[in-house]
Amino acid sequence: MRKSALQNSANPPLTDRAEFYAPARQTRAAAPIVPAGSVTGRSLTVVIAIMCFLACLTAGAVYLVNRSAAAWFEDIASEVTIQILPIENTNIDKRSTQVALFLARQPGISRVRPLSVKDAAGLLEPWLGKSAKALSALPVPRLIALEIDRSAPPDMQVLSANIENSFRGVVLDDHRHWQAQIRTVTRSLALGGIAVLVLVGAATTAIIVSATKSAMSSNREIVEVLHFVGATDTFIAREFEKHFLALGIRAGLFGAGAAAAVFLLMPIITQLVGGNAVTAAEIRRLVGSTSLDIPGYILLAIVLVVISALCMLTSRYGVYRILHSRH
Amino acid sequence: MIRLENVALRYGRGPEILQSVNLHIRPGSFHFLTGPSGAGKTSLLRLLFMSMHPTTGIIYVFGQNATRISPGKRAQLRRRVGIVFQDFRLLDHLTTWENVALPLRVIGKRISDYKEDVTDLLQWVGLGDRMYSFPSILSGGEKQRAAIARAVIGKPELLLADEPTGNVDPQMARRLLRLFIELNRLGTSVIIATHDYELMKQFNTPRLELQDGKLQIADKLR
Repeated sequence: MRKSALQNSANPPLTDRAEFYAPARQTRAAAPIVPAGSVTGRSLTVVIAIMCFLACLTAGAVYLVNRSAAAWFEDIASEVTIQILPIENTNIDKRSTQVALFLARQPGISRVRPLSVKDAAGLLEPWLGKSAKALSALPVPRLIALEIDRSAPPDMQVLSANIENSFRGVVLDDHRHWQAQIRTVTRSLALGGIAVLVLVGAATTAIIVSATKSAMSSNREIVEVLHFVGATDTFIAREFEKHFLALGIRAGLFGAGAAAAVFLLMPIITQLVGGNAVTAAEIRRLVGSTSLDIPGYILLAIVLVVISALCMLTSRYGVYRILHSRH
Repeated sequence: MIRLENVALRYGRGPEILQSVNLHIRPGSFHFLTGPSGAGKTSLLRLLFMSMHPTTGIIYVFGQNATRISPGKRAQLRRRVGIVFQDFRLLDHLTTWENVALPLRVIGKRISDYKEDVTDLLQWVGLGDRMYSFPSILSGGEKQRAAIARAVIGKPELLLADEPTGNVDPQMARRLLRLFIELNRLGTSVIIATHDYELMKQFNTPRLELQDGKLQIADKLR
């Protein structure tokens, strides 16, 4: 209505240079109301990228340890060991065979595997070396490895009581002690990892709160004008938070990408810092593979999403608080 | 539309800038607000625009007690009021076109819905060739016209203008006054704070005169 009234006014436009009216740059109307450069600088991007990198490294490391621990746990839980202690004036080989035959008849056991003297010596080799003389001088117990039928496992207490009642000097070791140790170690590592993640999250939040204050301060005039033209606090907060979200995504991609590269290149890094094939094998034995699998990389992507969301939500909350204090 | 009841204003512990101001702005009215420098014209406009709270008294804006409304409600009411500041308050990183389109953008309108309106209005105020220039290269008069265009693009029910012709030549001042009169004829209430007696003579309307913190209706100038 007003447009036509203005056009129908008796006064013609002051300028009639129609060639200037071509709306060549009207698409720039989508230009950000709050300039990105005044909100998120390069140094802030670097700091958030480092935070994301640390969070991803921690999450990845905890994931690797948990994965290895789960594998160890599975191995340990699916096998129990029978120890046949040497008793004077008895034939340990004969006792071993009798125990093995007894065990083979028990329910819930899928495989009975007696270990030879050589196998037992092999287990002691890391401590006693390869000296056959030293081994023969020691009363080394014989071992029988039992594989448990996972679908119908035996009652360990009943099995242990049966063995001890039937044979003298025979003990069942169901590895519960080791299971508890592994559980404790992995839980401690997971808790440590969570603590590091919480600290990284807290530091990121503090940085974003500070950056939001700074951005609001340097864009005070823009915020005032937005209020004057009828912008709500929600609109203003959105104008700021979209820059912080972009910052979170950009920095997160750098950080998570760098962490992924570290996990990918870990074998090469180990070699570069002086490790050899034996070192690599020891690390593998300790934590399994140092490379992440697909779920591991998905975990890094989740860290990226969380960091980006943290940047966005913290800035939104910060803007609301500042605006609220000004009303 | 807007009613002030016993409104007083002081900054900190200073003297009262406004004393017991009672005013009723009716729909479709046109007022010049005048008075010597420092009389409180800008402060009164800021009170009407809800960017300040009075020290005492009540201000009703579109039937709402402006001193007791939520920030969200205040934003909604401000969309019904256009304001032109003495110092323009244009955003330097946005083009003239983008500055003028800002009130429509903040209410969530799509560009396609207001593209033509903004362009037409800019042409009408003589900024057709400055649409995609940034305010930093505009002259004072051009900035003034851009600020006026931004204030009226949202078709406000009330237009507040603080010295809107202070930076333009007499010809442009007359043209801008005609714009305000045109808006007034279309139903917008207009309050123009000005020192420009020549401008006031051109439109036969009562003047609101601020003197020593008191507001009174002055005679028409012709």
